[in-house]
Amino acid sequence: MYALEVKNLSKNFNGIKAVDNASFTVPEGSVFGLIGRNGAGKTTTIRMMMNIYVPDTGEVILRGTKIGQEFKDKVGYLPEERGLYKKMKVMDTLLFLAELKGKTGKEVERNALNYLKRFDIAERKNSKLEDLSKGNQQKIQFIAAILHDPEFLIFDEPFSGLDPINTDLLKDIILEKKEEGKVIIFSTHLMDFAEKLSDHIAMIDHGKIILEGSLSEIKSHFAQKNVTLEAEGDLSFLDHASFVEKVENFGNTVGIKVKEPSQTQDLLRLLVQNNVKVNKFASNEISLHEIFVTLAGKDSNDVK
Amino acid sequence: MMLSRRTISIIKRELKVRLFSRTFIIMTLLIPLFMFGIMGLQTFLIHYSDVENAFLIVAAESQETLNNVQAELSKAPKNQDGNIEFMFEVLNKKKVEVRLNNVRDQIIEEKITGLIFIPEQALKDKKVEYFSKNPNNNLLLNRVKQPINKALTDIYFVGKKFSKDELEFARNNVDFSGFRISADKEIKEEGIGNTILSFLFTFLLYMSLLFTGQMTMTAVIEEKSSKIVEVLLSSVSSRELMIGKIVGTAITGLVQMAIWISPLIVLISTTWFVLPAEFTLKLSMWHLAFFLLNYFIALITFLGLFATVGSIFDSPQDAQSGVWPIMMLIMIPFFIAIGMQANPENQIARIASFVPFASLIVMPARITLVDIPWLQLVLSIVINITVMILIFILAGKIYRVGILITGKKPKWSEVVKWFKYNY
Repeated sequence: MYALEVKNLSKNFNGIKAVDNASFTVPEGSVFGLIGRNGAGKTTTIRMMMNIYVPDTGEVILRGTKIGQEFKDKVGYLPEERGLYKKMKVMDTLLFLAELKGKTGKEVERNALNYLKRFDIAERKNSKLEDLSKGNQQKIQFIAAILHDPEFLIFDEPFSGLDPINTDLLKDIILEKKEEGKVIIFSTHLMDFAEKLSDHIAMIDHGKIILEGSLSEIKSHFAQKNVTLEAEGDLSFLDHASFVEKVENFGNTVGIKVKEPSQTQDLLRLLVQNNVKVNKFASNEISLHEIFVTLAGKDSNDVK
Repeated sequence: MMLSRRTISIIKRELKVRLFSRTFIIMTLLIPLFMFGIMGLQTFLIHYSDVENAFLIVAAESQETLNNVQAELSKAPKNQDGNIEFMFEVLNKKKVEVRLNNVRDQIIEEKITGLIFIPEQALKDKKVEYFSKNPNNNLLLNRVKQPINKALTDIYFVGKKFSKDELEFARNNVDFSGFRISADKEIKEEGIGNTILSFLFTFLLYMSLLFTGQMTMTAVIEEKSSKIVEVLLSSVSSRELMIGKIVGTAITGLVQMAIWISPLIVLISTTWFVLPAEFTLKLSMWHLAFFLLNYFIALITFLGLFATVGSIFDSPQDAQSGVWPIMMLIMIPFFIAIGMQANPENQIARIASFVPFASLIVMPARITLVDIPWLQLVLSIVINITVMILIFILAGKIYRVGILITGKKPKWSEVVKWFKYNY
């Protein structure tokens, strides 16, 4: 069962295709990563999913029906560019944003206070936002996104600009919400986070979805022909080996792609023959970063 | 117009921030103070920047004329403050030229303000010459004109056997008393009360539209630059956000206006206060109701425009370059309404009271000055509501695109393209 289906979304700005016929599905209960470099079309896609932008073509289906205004009530949204009313007080802000989602009353106030306590800022509940540190403002923004207990969490580049404490805090929130069975969708250009957190992904490049599916399936699909190697010695002979399709140097590790899955054993034999000291030879393992570079090409400098 | 639950939440926040705030109390007090301040300043400038330490040489060709003029000038009530010093001399045309040559330097240095020469011919044609560095000083001339005129008239009529009363009659100006003919059948003498009132209405409209407009614009820019707007849009649509903001601010403005005109309501509905006859107001509750309704429409219309300009720009500085066409839409009708007080039925005012935007400012001033058939009032309201709705549709299209675009200042050609965007 899919919680959310994105079907053939396209969006043009002044003739430039920001999103080009993007389709993917988000299963129930999943943590879904939308991955791509800066400017690939992640924010535009998310804004269309949020019904902030109207797509030129395509639609977003929520459990069988097209999304509309009521979808917004079910979502907690953390935009890439964060901001709150500077002159408004912390508690007022939280209650106002919850009210917009249709939640009012003592219960919301109690929950808000609990979150504030948990995030260690309860004593600032009557401070103006502008008097809070940047880190504390980020905490308020998290609380605002989850206070109304949404079924969906949509986070756009959630880890950018976070200090380490808040990064951990946000990871905890994501995992906790996953435990509760909520659907979490986040976009990132940080492959490492995506790999650790998500169970389903879609990769977007130049507005097009270039890969989509469950992370474990994708990895095993790509890994069959891939070897991750940590070794000492000259590896230049690999360029001439007939069964090697591609060698990718990542610094500490080298990713090698062979032409057929069975040839990984030939590769190991060849390394030994050439007196290379092998510290780690992992077949059937590939990082999301390697997959991205394989698919999107080398000009992927801003992807980590 | 259906207001959704979300729009109402936005309105509630706007009211909390705007209506129940210190700024509201301050502005409610400050705007009338400012208005009366300006009116006071104007009066002050007219009355007190009066003639100061003028030194005039008054010359006449004959001693008799000179004596009469001297008597009248020193008798005139306006000259009792001693601000003008006179020196009287009998000079003929030739001697005047010589005298002028002698005192030229002093006139240029303003030690002598000027020389008034009354030739004998003036007894027939009343033509008097004035030589000065600043010969167009009306304030000064107005003080001496009447006494000189009186002196010349008296000499002219001497021996013509008119009684003093007859002379008094001849000298007096016609005194018009205005009576307003209206549908009420009863003819009432018209004081200057309504003229003052129309000035007040116009000024209040003008000031508060500009103030609230600028305030709304700044608030939109702030939402945009502080990036809260995207958080809001994850809960509400841009239309709901815009309507909420504008309606919230408009309600605040309406409450403010009601506070300002509440003394008038007390005045016309009770007998607690009695105005002097010349200030008597011809004003009904209908006038005030029309005024408030019209103001509410004006607020929604203009706030829509101000909010749109705010949504286009990232900073208040940039927005100033976009806001002047809207300022013109408020200022030009303001000048028409003020100018109309000389003649409320002039053609420009009549037309302007049905022209979109101008109608909102000119019509309230007109209804205080002349009786407008109710059909015309309804027409103006219909026109204004239609324009308000059109503005909302157009402004909404720009607003929803503008609030999400940050970065460089957009060109107007780009803004026009936003109309076609399918956001």
